[in-house]
Amino acid sequence: MIVNKKTSQQLVNSATLESSFRDPSGFIFKGVDGFIYRQVNKIAAKDFDLLVKSGLYKNLVDNKLLVAHKNVNDYPLLGEAYKIIKPQQIPFISYPFEWSFSQLKDAALLTLNIQKTALSYNMALKDASAYNVQFIGGRPILIDTLSFERYQADKPWDAYRQYCQHFLASLLLMANVDLSMNQMSRIFIDGIPLELATKLLPTRVKVKPAVMMHITMHAKAQKAKAGSAKKVEAKLPKKNLLAIIDNLINVTAKLKKPVKASEWGDYYDRNNNYTEVSLKTKAELVNDFFEGLNVKTVIDIGGNNGYFSRYLNKSGIFTVCADIDPNAVEANYLLVKKHQESKMLPLLVDFTNPGGGLGWANKEREIITNRLQCDGVLALAIIHHLAISNNLPLEKIAKYLKDFGKYLVIEFVPKSDSQVKKLLATRKDIFNTYNETDFKKAFGLYYSLIKEQRIKDTERTLFLFKSR
Amino acid sequence: MLRNFAYLDPGTGSLILQAVIGAMLGIIVFFRSFFVKIFIKVKSIFVHKKSDSKQKD
Repeated sequence: MIVNKKTSQQLVNSATLESSFRDPSGFIFKGVDGFIYRQVNKIAAKDFDLLVKSGLYKNLVDNKLLVAHKNVNDYPLLGEAYKIIKPQQIPFISYPFEWSFSQLKDAALLTLNIQKTALSYNMALKDASAYNVQFIGGRPILIDTLSFERYQADKPWDAYRQYCQHFLASLLLMANVDLSMNQMSRIFIDGIPLELATKLLPTRVKVKPAVMMHITMHAKAQKAKAGSAKKVEAKLPKKNLLAIIDNLINVTAKLKKPVKASEWGDYYDRNNNYTEVSLKTKAELVNDFFEGLNVKTVIDIGGNNGYFSRYLNKSGIFTVCADIDPNAVEANYLLVKKHQESKMLPLLVDFTNPGGGLGWANKEREIITNRLQCDGVLALAIIHHLAISNNLPLEKIAKYLKDFGKYLVIEFVPKSDSQVKKLLATRKDIFNTYNETDFKKAFGLYYSLIKEQRIKDTERTLFLFKSR
Repeated sequence: MLRNFAYLDPGTGSLILQAVIGAMLGIIVFFRSFFVKIFIKVKSIFVHKKSDSKQKD
């Protein structure tokens, strides 16, 4: 695929990803074939070559800590370009505020372990951004091949502050204040300011030596030196730097998610509407609906702990299992880890207010429909929450779900269902069009109905739609 | 040249703090390994003596 030089450069410029502007070492762009490529600039040539020649690249890739890449010659090297590489492709991009506690913790430990390994090869991580980590095959992995530089003797870690803001502060707040505190990274795109973390953390946590060092004193040091134009040459011998990294690893590894009963975390265990048999019947019906459609990926909206997603995994379908409840997502991720499942990506998503469209020009961190598009959409027992709890007209639900994928398997839960009765018990029923007929009419605006079937022993119906 | 292409602002406060806590943690690590070494040494003498006495039996 050799394209002429001028068009090639224009193409690269126009296809550069909006998130790829901070580091002058290179950038990411979408090639003419739709794949993601990375340009390595001349300024980063030495560090890039050292990464490969030192053996660090092989070590990290062999241990599945860093994405592998191939050198490509499909694009001419113009201007600043030193090399073009094609990294291992990431099927679904997710952001730290969409991760459960253990996902964020594992991403944090990955970052620190990479830094420690890099130091043993006389290299160092020059950033510690949570956005440089993605989940592939159930495991976190570093996706930025240009995050490495040659280690310089006695130099402190440039990314120490970023690590504390992106990972440590967020994890400490989740563990000690509220699990939902990771949502703060939707506001603070470069991590939670340490001064704010200091204000929010309870005193019993702030008196712990490690928290004092990395958060409280760190915030004070930042404040004391803010606005100072004087260049400081702080020296940090390598053994002391390693002592800091080891301390950060210890502190991070010891953090625990608070044990607290959630609204949905044990939904299937305590919900009287389902028996194990009826759950299984429903799961098999969902599988049947997707069969023969050549659906390889499905986004499970309101997927709880992944019960139905796992049935699809068994049929070889990859699922993005998204739920609003941090405890359910955590439970799902722990199952993924325990059984080393590679076909499931658990994510924390509130579909009534999904994250994305953040940062510079609202484009640096992309909207969810650009990142999590699948072949199919699964929406079980969610319609009443969207239509009744969130007052969403059925047409709007149909229109938005279409953005996630071509095929839709959706369960309609009528007003006579005990779960809907509960939702309507404390409020006036203003939902005259919330019935199966109007549901079919609304979804018919955007989809063709392929199949429908009443779910055994319930008043609910399962529908299969194909978008027009 | 202390910094090459560092594109992040490491923050002056963060740099100074690292030097301070690095020294503190470095000393802790040193003493910890020092005591561990002594402990191993003492233990090895003790274990040797014990095994010696066993041999005598």
